[in-house]
Amino acid sequence: MDYLVAVLLPQLLHGLVFGAALGLLALGLTVIFGLLGVMNFAHGELFMLGAYAGLGVIGATGSFWLALLAAPLLVGMVAAVTEIATLRPIYHREPLYGLILTFGLALVFREGVRQLWGGDMRRILPPFPGSTPLLGMLYPDYRLFLLAASAVVLLAIWLFFTRTRAGIIVRAAVQDAEMLDGLGVNVRRVFTLTFAASGALAALAGLLLAPVFTVYPQMGVEMILLAFIVVILGGMGSLGGSVAAAFIIGVAQSLFSLWMNPQRVAIAIFGIMIIVLIVRPRGLYGREGVLE
Amino acid sequence: MSKPPTWRVALVFALLAAVPFVPGVSRYHLLLAFDALLFGAIAMSLDLLIGYTGLVSFGHAAFYGLGAYATAVLLERGVLSVWACLAFALVVVGLYALVVSYFATARRGIYFALLTLIFAEVVYTFFRYTQTFGGSDGIQGLPDASVWPGVLIDTPTRKYYLVLAYLLGAWVVCRRVVTSHFGRVLVAIRENEDRARFLGYNVQRYKMGACMISALLTGLGGAIYPIRAAFATPDLMVWTESGEFIISVMIGGLGTLVGPVIGGAFFTLLRDKVSSVVDWYFLVIGAVLVVIVLFMPRGLLGLRRLVRLRRGRLPA
Repeated sequence: MDYLVAVLLPQLLHGLVFGAALGLLALGLTVIFGLLGVMNFAHGELFMLGAYAGLGVIGATGSFWLALLAAPLLVGMVAAVTEIATLRPIYHREPLYGLILTFGLALVFREGVRQLWGGDMRRILPPFPGSTPLLGMLYPDYRLFLLAASAVVLLAIWLFFTRTRAGIIVRAAVQDAEMLDGLGVNVRRVFTLTFAASGALAALAGLLLAPVFTVYPQMGVEMILLAFIVVILGGMGSLGGSVAAAFIIGVAQSLFSLWMNPQRVAIAIFGIMIIVLIVRPRGLYGREGVLE
Repeated sequence: MSKPPTWRVALVFALLAAVPFVPGVSRYHLLLAFDALLFGAIAMSLDLLIGYTGLVSFGHAAFYGLGAYATAVLLERGVLSVWACLAFALVVVGLYALVVSYFATARRGIYFALLTLIFAEVVYTFFRYTQTFGGSDGIQGLPDASVWPGVLIDTPTRKYYLVLAYLLGAWVVCRRVVTSHFGRVLVAIRENEDRARFLGYNVQRYKMGACMISALLTGLGGAIYPIRAAFATPDLMVWTESGEFIISVMIGGLGTLVGPVIGGAFFTLLRDKVSSVVDWYFLVIGAVLVVIVLFMPRGLLGLRRLVRLRRGRLPA
């Protein structure tokens, strides 16, 4: 019982917290892949840019909350400009160009940040340092906030896709952009806005996670690999699948780390993915014929 | 896919073979040439996948690194024969490539890039943190390999000829592949996978075949690297290395074989010159990649083709 409360429970909560943030990241990746057919290799760098933009805003104003608002907006704008300047001209080409292009963009963003801010590890302090007694243990307030905030955002996204006209248009564009264009919707604008929104989501995840982890130019690389695993595990293009898989990976990662060193954890997570792919080749929620 | 005349290829190789005899060519130049040709040959093997089959592998660094470790492990244990090293590398890389290519080609499109990347990252993590293979330091201070007992590959000139032989072998294999029926099916798959399937081809088997050939050639390239450098480290298989192979293919022009060789050599020389002067060279490399994709998707060789096309010498 002591083991349960003192070790297992906090680790489980850590996993949920991490899974929720990972879900924000993977969701943007899935939507962009479904919509544009581009697996965005620069997505991890947008995540990293979010943390650095937050660092800048906090440095200028001293307010974490202002940064939480401003960083996603800033990164969203960067994403919009990037989409218009580089991705829009190559949509008609084979998908491999999108892959290679975003890989180049990732290099530019990562090295650009290293030039501007240097390569050292930085920290963002949590806006509230306290802890709350919870189920017989003490749990940091900030992590609870992180979980709540991610859950609210995920819920908002779900409502957006199911209850609003704009959300339905985006889903329609995922299904058949050409038909949507024929129906008189400005598809290009849908593409740009969705890309900007997915960038803003990644930035939000980056800044939310920053007080828990550290901020450095390579931080996006490690996250993007996990996000790829999440997207594959959930089933390509399945929004719900991505979120479910993000929680599975988040919890698995933090429970495994009780018993193994971090490298073994990485390999175990990978093992999970392989097993799922053997049993369900399309991932947990992938459907036959969708995005193939 | 016009066939370059054999005499022209022979001439190029003759010129390359003459390089060590040029007065003023130093040890440093020869080893730089080694790296350039090695990178070029690997980019050419990757071109079989990217340019001909339409599959982007983000995991070639793992084939390369595994080949390097195969040689390093043998040299470390006193097995000096280069043939043993190459054979061992083929076995190790082949087994790994079989697993990767099976999973990566099971689904179409983007899965291939993601799964090759994730597999490679696991291999990297394994070698980086396994002390049996030296952890992050890798295996250092290896002895020279030998062609047969008594004949060591010890001087830069001999090492240079080793890579030249490898390049020639890889070129012959790649050339054979793309001019064969097998190669034509690969192009058909790239152009229209459904049509290739409806024509009765087992698409996955062809993709796996292409992946295996490309992986084995890359693994052989990795196997000769420790013979030149006397070490193998996990850095050889970090995923940015795979990215650099792709960049080389893109610079040279995909689907041309010769282009990636030039692209790889160009990239190696650029890296050698630029990285010693500025520390933001990856920024430049990234930007170059973006510009190439946007404005010259056929690469350097493609540019030449375009010029010929304008002059009306080449049928479109």
